[in-house]
Amino acid sequence: MLITLKDVYKIYGEGLESEVRALNGVSLEIDYGEFVAIAGQSGSGKSTMMNVLGCLDIPTYGDYFLAGQDVSELDDKQLSHIRNKQIGFIFQGYNLIPSLTAVENVELPLIYQGVSAFDRRDMAMEALERVGLAARAKHHPGEMSGGQQQRVAIARAIAAHPPIIMADEPTGALDSKTGLEVLAFLQQLNKEGSTILLITHDNGIAATARRIVRLSDGKIIEDHEQEVDWL
Amino acid sequence: MKFGQAVKMAVKSILAKKGRSFLTMLGIIIGIASVMTIVATVSGYNQKMMEAFEAQGTNKITVSLYLNSGESGFEKVYDYCQGLGDDVIGVTPNSQAWSAVVKYGAKNSDTMEWQEQPRVYLGSDQYSKVNSFTVARGRDITKLDVEKYHQVCVLGARAAKTFFDYADPLNENIMIGGVPFTVVGIYAEKDAESSYSMDSVIVLPYTASRFMPNGGGDVSGECAVKVKDSQTINPVMQRIQAYLDGVTQNGDYGYGYAYSEQQWQDESSGMLTMISVVLGGIAGISLLVGGIGIMNIMLVTVTERTREIGIRRAIGAERSSIVTQFLVEAAMICGVGGVIGIIIGYGGTHLAGRLLFDGMSLYPSPEITLGAFAFSVSLGIIFGMYPAIKASGLQPVVALKAE
Repeated sequence: MLITLKDVYKIYGEGLESEVRALNGVSLEIDYGEFVAIAGQSGSGKSTMMNVLGCLDIPTYGDYFLAGQDVSELDDKQLSHIRNKQIGFIFQGYNLIPSLTAVENVELPLIYQGVSAFDRRDMAMEALERVGLAARAKHHPGEMSGGQQQRVAIARAIAAHPPIIMADEPTGALDSKTGLEVLAFLQQLNKEGSTILLITHDNGIAATARRIVRLSDGKIIEDHEQEVDWL
Repeated sequence: MKFGQAVKMAVKSILAKKGRSFLTMLGIIIGIASVMTIVATVSGYNQKMMEAFEAQGTNKITVSLYLNSGESGFEKVYDYCQGLGDDVIGVTPNSQAWSAVVKYGAKNSDTMEWQEQPRVYLGSDQYSKVNSFTVARGRDITKLDVEKYHQVCVLGARAAKTFFDYADPLNENIMIGGVPFTVVGIYAEKDAESSYSMDSVIVLPYTASRFMPNGGGDVSGECAVKVKDSQTINPVMQRIQAYLDGVTQNGDYGYGYAYSEQQWQDESSGMLTMISVVLGGIAGISLLVGGIGIMNIMLVTVTERTREIGIRRAIGAERSSIVTQFLVEAAMICGVGGVIGIIIGYGGTHLAGRLLFDGMSLYPSPEITLGAFAFSVSLGIIFGMYPAIKASGLQPVVALKAE
């Protein structure tokens, strides 16, 4: 099993009145090579779920095993290494660094892996080529359209070839045509063996995943396999 | 993350905000330039003074004794000093023959400018040792010269130049107090810069005082003693003074004193160091202000770049990488400011030497230069530490949400 959540709680605030249970006893297993959509309305806890799964945040209670490793036992440095090597993040707001060019943004995870400047540039250009943006490598994010920026963000997520890709509303800021291109690309990555976690509030988008996990009020209310619209 | 990468990031970030970076540097530039100018000027001046002192002969005690009876105190002092023991490594009469006129050809010391006038000293074979002269050409005065009343002399480099220009003075006869003396040697030049120079001495065997005007009556009866190191100066000086006080009955029968230039060299050196510390400290306040400026601007930078920090942390930057990134940036701003400050400090020190010390050519020593650079970089690290740690402590989830 790649991911195992056992009775995980994430509670914000203290005291019975003010506490918010963003995750309220969630158990979940995800295997290698799956394509899972984590769906739910805003406030359902899906973003908290992604933060916990992405080792950006730690659960208040409960166990999280990633590839057999108990994440709660890891310190900040080890969590950083997991985020760096095991997970590629695609965020809703692209989250590119505006002062860096496209290729420099894509290089970032490789920098923190200590890859040499020469190999880094090669790997970053390869990733940009895959998303069809090699020609714009020297452009800054501000000089690109939203769709192009999201493709740079995807290139950054895949540059280090992590086994897991986590995409948080990757199409949220894009028009539908560009959004479909992004989803098709995620399906392609899944076919090539990556495990994909797609967080979305949109059922149409969730339909592109083979498995859908629906959250509401911090609990899983639905978890099943489905027929996929291959894009 | 590799260190070189942090340096690249810092360069990029500093260049991205040139105006702000420069204004931040300004505090460091002014601080380093002023501290450096003050410290380098004072220590450079001190250095030159020390060199001048050393040219006079180090670890040297001068002893004089004048007796009311009119009897010469010289013999007593010279005998006593020769019996001082192991702490003393050289004793010589060190009397100046004030009124001895020196003539050679058309040159006459009576008609010379004071800067050019030679100074005639009477010494023993140990004169050069006590006064730190070395013989450049010919020979030194010997015991035999002293014992046999030889009419020989050794010239300081400047005295040789004054009387002989480029001609060879060796074996020439020079008239001193109306008596001919043969030049047997020339001392090596000691302090080219000083105008009242030790190099203008003419040294005769002290037994030649009998040839001097007034039968030697105008010869000051001084002796000079060289001790083995600076620690022994004071004890030996006290012993000599006690002896002198005994002879004069604490001043009733004349007066005698022993003194060392080391004394007031140490005093003036100590005072200069004090001045340097006080002035440097006042100027150092501007460095403190500059450092706080760095801290302030780095805090602003961290706040502005919260989202960037969140992104970096999310995709795998360790806390230490974030700390390194911001520390290197602060250190680099201060380092560049320090270099500019050092360049200005060089100009300032040189100018101070020219204006305050009569055209003295002063430059900061390599130690001060390196010290100033190291200090400015560490200032960046010290004042950059808090903002850098603050940046690294941001939670990735929270930082990512920042606008």
